[in-house]
Amino acid sequence: MKENQHPAPGGSSYWRSLAHLSDGPDMRELIGKEFPGYDAEGMVNSSRRRFLKLMGASMALAGVTLSGCRRWPEEKLAPYSTNPRGRIPGVPEQYATAMELAGVAQPLLVTSYDGRPIKIEGNPSHLFSMTVKDKIGAADAFAQASVLEMYDPHRSQRFIDSRQQMKESSWPEFQAFAAKHFADLKTNSATLAILSEATASPSVWDMRRRLAAAFGQAKWYEYEPISWDAELEGSKLAFGKPVRNRLHLEKASRVVLLDADLLGMHPAHVRYAADWAERRRSADVGDMSRVYLAECGFSITGTVTDVRLPVNPSRLYALARAIATKLGVEGISGEEKLSDAETRFAEAAAMDLKSAGPNGVIAGGQALPPIGHALICAINEKIGAVGNTIVYHEDPTGDRPSHAKSIIDLADQIKAGTVNTLLVLGGNPAYDAPADLEFGKLLTQVAMTIRLGLYEDETSKLCRWHLPRAHYLESWGDGRAWDGTAGIIQPLILPLYGGKSVIELLAIIIGDKVTEGYDLVRRTWREQFLKGDDFERAIRRVIEAGVLEGSEFVTLQASVKPSQYPAAQTSEGMYVRFAPGSHTYDGRFANNGWLQETPDPLTKLVWDNAALIAKKDADAAGVTTGDLIHIDAPPGRSIEIPAYVMPGQPVGVITLPLGQGRTSAGPIGDGVGFDCYQLRSSQAPDVVAGAKIRAASGTYRLVATQDHHILDSIGVGGREKRVGGKGESGIIIREATLAEFKSDPNSVHGGPRKIELQLFEAPSDYTDTHAWAMSVDLNSCIGCNACALACQAENNIPIVGKIEAYNHREMNWIRIDRYFKGDADDPTIEVVHQPMMCQQCENAPCEQVCPVGATVHDSEGLNTMVYNRCIGTRYCSNNCPYKVRRFNYFDYHSKDPRSNWGTPWPFFPDSQQYNTVPKIEQMVFNPDVSLRMRGVMEKCTYCVQRIHRATIAKRGQGEDVTDGDIITACQQACPTQAIVFGDLNDPESKVSKLHKNQRSYGVLSEELNTRPRTKYLAKIRNPVEAGHEVKA
Amino acid sequence: MSEGKSKAPKADGSGRFLFPRGANYLAPVAGVGVVGGLLYVTTLFALGASPKTLAVGYQPIQPVPYSHALHAGKLGLDCRYCHTTVEKTAFANLPPTQTCMNCHSKIWDKSEKLKPVRDSWTSGEPVHWIKIHNLANYVYFNHSAHVNHGVGCVECHGRIDRMDVVSQQQPLSMGWCLDCHRVPETHLRPKDQVTNMGWQRPQGADPFVFGVDLRKQYKIHDYAYMTSCYTCHR
Repeated sequence: MKENQHPAPGGSSYWRSLAHLSDGPDMRELIGKEFPGYDAEGMVNSSRRRFLKLMGASMALAGVTLSGCRRWPEEKLAPYSTNPRGRIPGVPEQYATAMELAGVAQPLLVTSYDGRPIKIEGNPSHLFSMTVKDKIGAADAFAQASVLEMYDPHRSQRFIDSRQQMKESSWPEFQAFAAKHFADLKTNSATLAILSEATASPSVWDMRRRLAAAFGQAKWYEYEPISWDAELEGSKLAFGKPVRNRLHLEKASRVVLLDADLLGMHPAHVRYAADWAERRRSADVGDMSRVYLAECGFSITGTVTDVRLPVNPSRLYALARAIATKLGVEGISGEEKLSDAETRFAEAAAMDLKSAGPNGVIAGGQALPPIGHALICAINEKIGAVGNTIVYHEDPTGDRPSHAKSIIDLADQIKAGTVNTLLVLGGNPAYDAPADLEFGKLLTQVAMTIRLGLYEDETSKLCRWHLPRAHYLESWGDGRAWDGTAGIIQPLILPLYGGKSVIELLAIIIGDKVTEGYDLVRRTWREQFLKGDDFERAIRRVIEAGVLEGSEFVTLQASVKPSQYPAAQTSEGMYVRFAPGSHTYDGRFANNGWLQETPDPLTKLVWDNAALIAKKDADAAGVTTGDLIHIDAPPGRSIEIPAYVMPGQPVGVITLPLGQGRTSAGPIGDGVGFDCYQLRSSQAPDVVAGAKIRAASGTYRLVATQDHHILDSIGVGGREKRVGGKGESGIIIREATLAEFKSDPNSVHGGPRKIELQLFEAPSDYTDTHAWAMSVDLNSCIGCNACALACQAENNIPIVGKIEAYNHREMNWIRIDRYFKGDADDPTIEVVHQPMMCQQCENAPCEQVCPVGATVHDSEGLNTMVYNRCIGTRYCSNNCPYKVRRFNYFDYHSKDPRSNWGTPWPFFPDSQQYNTVPKIEQMVFNPDVSLRMRGVMEKCTYCVQRIHRATIAKRGQGEDVTDGDIITACQQACPTQAIVFGDLNDPESKVSKLHKNQRSYGVLSEELNTRPRTKYLAKIRNPVEAGHEVKA
Repeated sequence: MSEGKSKAPKADGSGRFLFPRGANYLAPVAGVGVVGGLLYVTTLFALGASPKTLAVGYQPIQPVPYSHALHAGKLGLDCRYCHTTVEKTAFANLPPTQTCMNCHSKIWDKSEKLKPVRDSWTSGEPVHWIKIHNLANYVYFNHSAHVNHGVGCVECHGRIDRMDVVSQQQPLSMGWCLDCHRVPETHLRPKDQVTNMGWQRPQGADPFVFGVDLRKQYKIHDYAYMTSCYTCHR
């Protein structure tokens, strides 16, 4: 084994082992020499003194090595022959790039160690990821986890030619094939079809244009299973052309949302969440936005709205019409009956929008039909929001049929036999195309199918050619953010498996002279964006910054065409609503263990999905959480899936999270969860009406990391006291309404604050050093899990698998506790998210009980966890009231998460992790953080590696760290800046001010005197004031 | 039970429990042997497995017989000419082959001893040096934190400028590190003398008193921080 081939994490070789120590060939060679230090050549010309010196040295060496005992095994150091210019090897660098998800680029800053990208952050200079301008950029859960996807050994590594029999091929062979095949096709281009994922990449669009020039009649189809096309289609109805909405929630004092999950799954959710949070933090000065949400499920946005109305999808349009009528929008025709709750909602929303005027905004989601979106445009125009809280941009990528229609068109063409060559660029249509199209079968009917895919998945297996796709971290490209701001995607590592990007494949197909991604991107940018003289300088600046300022889509002043908004028909039966899955989005991340194990924000399910149904419906069908049910939906489709009784779920609506139940995702993702795509038909890809549920036989073990109602009555009473009833303050969760808070700030604490007199003096005086502390704002936390995934990436936290998660052994250092306030069948149930990590208590219960002193308090306030001393008694975890300590029951890094048993022991502990973890997976580890083995306790460390990095660097220059120098991983990832870290001994620091905030409290601090350094800011809700609600 | 024959020693010299006189010394000798044996084994491991035995004196043969005594000592090259990152990063890097070739493309450019260096330069492959001063992976030692605060190279590495072949001079064990971390004053020197291996304190200066000023000047952390676990382990 040539151990020095790979850049080992930490800059030093990891390949220590006792076997190496006792049996290396160098060892034997040294033992064989009688005088290891003996230099025969030097002896010839040496003096007596030198001879004695040599003898002495060799004696010393003999004493150390001949016995075979040296303290450490031999390690080699291999510096470069020539250092790479501009960087110090071993020191992390950050590069700007972007990740395109569903056609929208998420701007990123990626940390790279010696050519290994290991951590993904947002780009603080890009509007759509910055939370603190030029300082902190947030990246969402999917972006954080995508680094693991790059190192996935189960990604596609080979070119497969299945034209006759499946055989491994190569890029040159494919090029030879393509040269001939596509040359022939130029005269017969009508038989060429391309099915692509949604993309706004200027380079892809440029290649598309060239493709259209070369193959005049080829057709390009764009398909995404999860799409925001309802809004696009609505804008076409309203304005006659595709228009992109860009909301400015920081200006909005009243927001009305109709099933718009702006803070959760929307492509611009990082920006929107950051903006939304600005108007929530202002509760401290008595001014807060009010958000109304009518939704047909329970989304992240639903957990933080002030007024929430669960409705079935058909009511969304009715509500829009009701609101529009009250605001005086013209064209509403037809009467419609609304329920009392709906009427109250519509009236309150309309009143607030009217009074807010330009500072109000209304937006809709995918379940609202396009006519509803058009109506929303009319409402926004009526209240004067256009240009203030909502800005319209041209959408050049919107001039296309909707995704749903696109795939139907392609299927029809294939059925008609007019497609002979189909290029599938990314996506996974065999898995996620509407089930009634039976796209998998259609693929086999096409004579030549060429598939570019990240994995050898369901689609690849049915295509004639499979080409491995280069990950975005491995390829040159470009992308556009939600408002069209363009940026360049730069690779951080050469393609690990020889993959190719979309533009490189298209270049081969067109027969373009330019074939490398780098050159293609440069060509696009030279032609489209950087037309001036100093192109080199300009493009380098764009690549470095990750953004080209001022390149957003052109804004336009558009007015809604006068139209009619007739009443819609309602239908009988239940509705099924397909929602993006938090674990896999649309299925693409199924093999990503980090995401599979991150609990869904609402259900807290891991490694699974379930049908979310309201309690009333569950009772009617005679099922409860975990029971299998059949869901039958027109046109004659049916799936079997476990039920999950979801508090707050609208009655008569079943939410089906997509993206699980895959069969060719890889060893992590295969067979996990249930395939809800089977129920989707091409006529109803988002919402299906007329569904039925009936109980099936059997149960299924669903693993939720936090259960809602598995408590006896005493437990329920206890929980009420700790969490508080609806609208009440509890011990753990404190909240109040804005009105209460304004009249008496102490209302969040349930009364005047008690000041406990202590019997003993404080354990320590921390006034002359830094005093690290953290503040978490419950008012801003939306429960998106970005912090949990950032922590997992930063701190080398392993995944444990479903079975161990069932045993409550999940290893996430930060978890988001989600509390429901109310009953399962209360439609206005409230939710609070509380991120919980080690509170670094000054008076820590864990420190007092460790028998070996493995957890001690340091002088800056951190509760240190010394892995070496830990012997695994787990007494500390026992004593921790917050239950934030995680124990390594097995060597989870080397344990297969799908298997039941841990790695066998007693092999030597060292070798267990490093021998059995594939080298490619080892590359994702952060070298600054120790890897923990079986038997030791671990917990949040306030990112001590970041504290040290900043402190040592600053002090080396004679300065000291100031506020903002140290940003913890969770703080950095949070789009709403809910988490703030800093120094309490600096009175100007953000965290000092937040700790003095009126809303600030320590969880269980007064009850248990733990004195946590992490304080929480109580949640403030802004419901419609009692007495001001408009009655029917 | 029948009355068995008594097993006690008898007057005629028979009986099971009649031992020769020497057996009187069995118990004490065994006791001494066990205690002594335990002491011996403990001492053997304490001394034999201590870092002072195992680590000090480690002097592997390097692929290129680079002599610090010649380059750093006789020629007077500063440590940082080659170990460039020692003030900026946690690790003190080994120089790339390019640094060697700065001189050796012209000087001793045909020497057999330098052949591995020239081969590395032309081929682009690194020279595989053997690491001498090694710490466990759970120790996050940071060179810049020491070098920038007045800890001389010689404190931990010894008189490298007098070594033809580098050997480890100090055990680099945790106890040894703590000896300084507890009382850093005696190991401090002015920052500009950090790479001066031959530096001596001014005549008659008390090591501790001299260091107290430096400690304050370089703002070295207090005792609690210096002996805190997280300072070196994470």
